[in-house]
Amino acid sequence: MIERSATHGTFAIERVYDASPARVFKAWADPEAKARWFVGPADWQLLARSIDFRIGGEEHLSGRRTDFVSTFDGFYHDIVPDQRIIYSYDMHLDQRHISVSLATVEFRPDGAGTRLIFTEQAVFLDGYDDAGGRERGTRILLEQLGAELQRQAGASQ
Amino acid sequence: MAERSVAHATFSLQRTYDSPPAKVFKAFADPAIKRSWFAEGEGWEIEEFVADFKVGGYERSCFRFRGGTPIRNDTTYHDIVPNERIILGYVMTIGENRISASLATIVFKPAGAGTELIFTEQGAFLDGLDTAGPREAGWRDLLEALGKALKR
Repeated sequence: MIERSATHGTFAIERVYDASPARVFKAWADPEAKARWFVGPADWQLLARSIDFRIGGEEHLSGRRTDFVSTFDGFYHDIVPDQRIIYSYDMHLDQRHISVSLATVEFRPDGAGTRLIFTEQAVFLDGYDDAGGRERGTRILLEQLGAELQRQAGASQ
Repeated sequence: MAERSVAHATFSLQRTYDSPPAKVFKAFADPAIKRSWFAEGEGWEIEEFVADFKVGGYERSCFRFRGGTPIRNDTTYHDIVPNERIILGYVMTIGENRISASLATIVFKPAGAGTELIFTEQGAFLDGLDTAGPREAGWRDLLEALGKALKR
């Protein structure tokens, strides 16, 4: 029998990108752009991806790692073009439901660029020990977003 | 144009009820019972209340207080462990403005013959239109109304 527990935690990450808020927002809103940076680590293989980017829409992503399948199921709650995205999401490792989170992504003008503030309010379930892994993983994703924005800038020159 | 802002906050409420966990859980799971304490009340007009209580299911309600601006609640169920836990995401909208997006964790624990309920909200309060204080007070009232519904 599963020992039930729910452990609440919050973290926030700020990043500044050399791209306008409209461009950074688009990297989240455009499914093709998001598919280039919202990906797992080297051992991750895509199994399925879908995005319905609108308020009330859903996003699903699953991938196989060496030892397990990870599944992301997101629900968009708030979208303010070029300014804000709020979604809640579930993570499963194989069949195990490890967390539910509320993610707020704010895009603020910063000079000619964008200050992105990512805030996650999470509940980790049934003894799953995150040990800071979610925050580390999100930092890597935001690095990958930065690389995608640089690729776009290079391609347009 | 609205000035955009987000204020994040977490609060937790604890209540003990004389009813067993299965009965307290049912007051959230059964749409007719939930409507009775969650939506109905003196002066409230309910324009919509539909609940599909399952993981991935939606609950939508819309109500007005004495003919005022419509207030909407759009809920998504993320996690349901019968008689033990419910985790939901919900957005509150007043008129055309979304005022908050939240995660709510409701844990039901046996306490003698009764139930200890722990309600935790992790909220993002939007554009200066709402704050955690009134939300916490609102949930205190709702958990009080739930207590009365359990005695009926």
